Amino acid sequence: MTTLALPRRWRLPGWGVCLLVALAAELIYFTLTTRHFADGGTGMLALTEQFVPIGLLALGLAMVILTGNIDLSVAANASLASVFAGTALEHGYGTLIAVLLAIAVGTAVGLFNGLVIAVLGIDSLLVTLATQFIVTSIETSVAGYSPPYGFASSFLRLGQGAIADVPVALLVFLLLAVATIAVVDGTTFGRSITLIGYSRRAADYTGITTRRALCAVFTLSGALAGVAGVLLAAYYNSAQPETGSILLLPAITAVVLGGVDIFGGRGRIGEVVIAVFLLGFLSQGMLIEGDSSLAVTMVTGLLLIGALVLKVMFERNFRASWAARMRQLRSPLSHLGRPG
Amino acid sequence: MTTARDIQTVLPPEEDRRQSRAMIELLRRREVQVVAAMIVIVAVSTAFHPYFWASANFGYILADSMVIALLALGETFVMLGRGIDLSVGSVMGLSAIIVGFQIQNHNMTLLPAVLLGAVIGVVLGLGNALLVAVVRLPPIIATLGTLGVYSGLEFVVTNGNQVDTIPNSMTNLGSNQVLPGIPEIFVYTLPLVLIAALVLRHTVFGRSIYAVGDDAEAAYKAGIGVQRVLFMTYLIAGLLAGLAGVVFLIYTSGASSTTGVNDNLSAIAAALIGGTALTGGRGGAFGALVGSVFLTVTLTAMSFAHMPDVWQPAGVGALVLLAVLFDRRARDASVARRSKRRRWRR
Amino acid sequence: MADPAIRGGRSGLGLVVENSTDYEARAITKSFAEVIVLREASVHFRPGEIHALVGENGAGKSTLLKVMAGVYSLDSGSLVLGGATLPPLSPREAQRRGIYLVPQEPRLMRDLSVAENLYLGALPTGRLGSVAWRSMNDTTGGLISSVGLRVHPRTLAGELSLAQQQLLECARALSHGCGIIFFDEPTSPLTAHDADKLFSLMDQMRGRGLTLGFISHRLDEVEAISDRITVLRDAAVVAREERGTATREKLVAAMIGRQLTVSRRTGHTSAPGAVMLDADEVFAPPAVRGMSVQVRAGEIVGLAGLVGSGRTEFAETLFGLRAPSSGTVRVGGRDITGRGPRRCIDSGLIYLAEDRGRTGIFADVDIVRNATSAIVGRLPRRARTFIRPRQEEELARAGAQRMDVRASSLGAPIKTLSGGNQQKVMLARWVLAEPRVAIFDEPTRGVDVGARESIFMTIESLTANGLAALVISSELEVLVRLCDRVYAVYEGRIVGEVAGADITLEALGQLVVGAS
Repeated sequence: MTTLALPRRWRLPGWGVCLLVALAAELIYFTLTTRHFADGGTGMLALTEQFVPIGLLALGLAMVILTGNIDLSVAANASLASVFAGTALEHGYGTLIAVLLAIAVGTAVGLFNGLVIAVLGIDSLLVTLATQFIVTSIETSVAGYSPPYGFASSFLRLGQGAIADVPVALLVFLLLAVATIAVVDGTTFGRSITLIGYSRRAADYTGITTRRALCAVFTLSGALAGVAGVLLAAYYNSAQPETGSILLLPAITAVVLGGVDIFGGRGRIGEVVIAVFLLGFLSQGMLIEGDSSLAVTMVTGLLLIGALVLKVMFERNFRASWAARMRQLRSPLSHLGRPG
Repeated sequence: MTTARDIQTVLPPEEDRRQSRAMIELLRRREVQVVAAMIVIVAVSTAFHPYFWASANFGYILADSMVIALLALGETFVMLGRGIDLSVGSVMGLSAIIVGFQIQNHNMTLLPAVLLGAVIGVVLGLGNALLVAVVRLPPIIATLGTLGVYSGLEFVVTNGNQVDTIPNSMTNLGSNQVLPGIPEIFVYTLPLVLIAALVLRHTVFGRSIYAVGDDAEAAYKAGIGVQRVLFMTYLIAGLLAGLAGVVFLIYTSGASSTTGVNDNLSAIAAALIGGTALTGGRGGAFGALVGSVFLTVTLTAMSFAHMPDVWQPAGVGALVLLAVLFDRRARDASVARRSKRRRWRR
Repeated sequence: MADPAIRGGRSGLGLVVENSTDYEARAITKSFAEVIVLREASVHFRPGEIHALVGENGAGKSTLLKVMAGVYSLDSGSLVLGGATLPPLSPREAQRRGIYLVPQEPRLMRDLSVAENLYLGALPTGRLGSVAWRSMNDTTGGLISSVGLRVHPRTLAGELSLAQQQLLECARALSHGCGIIFFDEPTSPLTAHDADKLFSLMDQMRGRGLTLGFISHRLDEVEAISDRITVLRDAAVVAREERGTATREKLVAAMIGRQLTVSRRTGHTSAPGAVMLDADEVFAPPAVRGMSVQVRAGEIVGLAGLVGSGRTEFAETLFGLRAPSSGTVRVGGRDITGRGPRRCIDSGLIYLAEDRGRTGIFADVDIVRNATSAIVGRLPRRARTFIRPRQEEELARAGAQRMDVRASSLGAPIKTLSGGNQQKVMLARWVLAEPRVAIFDEPTRGVDVGARESIFMTIESLTANGLAALVISSELEVLVRLCDRVYAVYEGRIVGEVAGADITLEALGQLVVGAS
């Protein structure tokens, strides 16, 4: 006789809770110790304008990483989009055109990535590494000697404005975050992404149109990078070439910190969003406190490492004895990924 | 106790010879193909720009490629073990900056400079080695992290200044030609390539790298110290990158806070072109050398064709894509060939 | 660090028997995360004997050998080698003591040569610490030919066939001077011819006094070659038989705990319906060289052939995983040639793949999502976009119950299930897709006797309800048991077709080796 129990509806959201607690602790710490951090709440909200672009990159990256791939070109892509937006504005085109152009450019790069990776079957690390450099060349060339700056106020409002004290940028991010969560958790496409991440071959054999899904995921990542580019240009009031390498590290850190398995499959977008805020407020708080951006980078790097180590220990896979758990940690293969 | 009677080599001699010849062919193929492609590019370039063929130009190309060659050599060690090092360019940059300041401001001479570069490389490479082999981070993440930290450090160390004065006694190594077209620096760098090739092909350590890259778990079960091997590959990559920094100073007689930032990809590109696969287990030292020269030749040909420098990164990116595509085609062809052969044997 | 046996250059079957002794497991208990996989299991391997372990999947045979070879640790009990109790083992330590386990799937370094694989971790060094290639290749040549492997030592291991790789593993065992060699299901993926080669090698080794153990699901080969047979069921040893006293009925009864009458092929009562699968002159070189197959609704058609004859490639071509160079494939009249799995599934064709581990299950994913993975697009939704989780669970649960899946919770990852249960989940997955045509590729591979019957009955009941079934199996008994018609495949071509009462082991056996 079969004995089947209903699967539990709610997995203990262990990691997410950890992140929330850490976020709360961090906010309290900064509010109490650093002046001008909270400014009665509105200050804190305003700070988000700084790191929301990273959050958008993290959303796209998370989806890509869920499939077991990586996209190293997202940050450069955002730069490219910002340059195009700025150039359009400089040439007299309106805000709407500039925004659409930026998103189109980002999407185009993402589509290129997607096609080469999905259709030609080349490793995503290499492709996006190469694309990153190609895009960097393009954006430096388009930006020219003096990158565009000084944009119309209607455009600036996207990056600097607020609706009822809530920054527009934050609203954009939250909207897209909710959409991403809905897509990944609840739609066929989202299910395809996760299954591809767990086993590409099994996904092929079970009828998932893997090539289409992969192409789509990179295209979406590119589109989100385009939006990030718009917000960047709007916030800084100038096109942002060369931000390529700087934003990549925090974006990946947010994804990894958010519990997404670098080899694909496991991970929840919601937790990535929390990690974005955790990381974002941390860097902003440190900067306000007076730490250099180098210190921020180093702390980010440390967080990346720490997150991974913690994740391994937290893994519920081995409820087994401590010996087994230690052996797994010692196993030379814990970072080489799942077989097959 | 073995008796001669028990051992019988059943394989007929003809098949033996045929297969060993085939083996050699297979080994040589990638390097030969790259050299052939290079000859084509040189020919085309020279047809449009006769100066391309001048020995002075070749000297510059070879000297220039030595920097990437050393980086690619280190990258080859890492990639053979199925890892990747995204930070070699920054290691080179830091080494170039620190050593450069010593030369510029404190009159350090060549030999101590080389030693210092090596030490810096090892120390920085140690960071990667520890993160990957001890802390067990995925190499992408670990070296991305160190890339960030080391590039940041480049800014800190330069502190707004840059290296711009290197004594002629050193820069001459890049321009002096021992033979027409062969700069002195090539003569000093070539032994490193040879040693690397020897290590990879004929030492137990070198063969372990291939084994680990091919199947780390099986290597572990066979008693190979996988983590130790990986640790060493990242150290070696760091060491070679440190040396590359010194060569960079010799060739360009300067260094700044952005030195090396584009060279990460070039190192990987050169290794890929030379036949080393990202998935480990295949490739070698000569491939790194050939790949770097090919890369430099191609980039020089591009600038001769009046492409602005800003497009060089794009050029490298395109070459990476082409190299990988080409690699896949070749592998698919050999798999098809293999399956045909297997049907035969039955 | 090199093994003395290799350094000394000793090789192959000339080995003196010193390393081969009694090896006994006493009351071994082992569990993985609260699941007991071995319960006080004892088995005694003796030199000069071939000792087979049989039992259903999940019974613990593989685990027992792995414990004895140091791959797994034991929770309680002891291992006694030549009268002395062993300390906790690692694989390397076991090898040093002369114990070697040839794994089910030989894992060799594909880009390294045969010689390097043989000497993995123990490369001989010569002058200045460099690798001694010449002597290594020479010794390798002698060693591998003594086990019947006829290739050049410098051949890349990736170029060897599966059978050759297994022989290489044997050579490795011998080169390490191991006198106790275990084989974990060595013959499952082999052709009869290669299996015979392996058994003759084992026979030779037995003659030299080595201690041999192997696991198999194929009772005829077990009966033919073993001196002793130990039966495991539900993590415990339930029977010990010897050559002469063992009978098929006794073995099967011990394995499944109940009497099982060997069933013969049940005839079909109703006439088969319309042609549902029509594959016409399908070419997909190099494996498929012109195959035409027709399957009607309600029919069970078999594809017989040796491993490597191209049947799986043919199935993959039908299912759109490989592009055919010519030919057409129709399902229910609709042309789906080269369209891809999604199209095939939507047209009513499903494919239960052979390699469950790599192409079937999503190991870390829960049973529910594994079961619904083929029909995600058809799941009930809210607002036509968002999958309704509760309805999905219901569907999965119904499917799993229908297939008699034994699992404590559907939310657990599928990898926690036994092989037989995993296969049942796979069946549930494909049944949920409501197919009209189903291709079953080696459906009973790695599945125990009890689950086999269950799978046979499932296939029969599905076809009784109108499914057109194409069954690929290397086990001719399966085809004899199930099919109304059988095509014989040899080197990518159909070389014969038998129907009804003409389907016999002899007839099929002849056809699959190319005889007419």
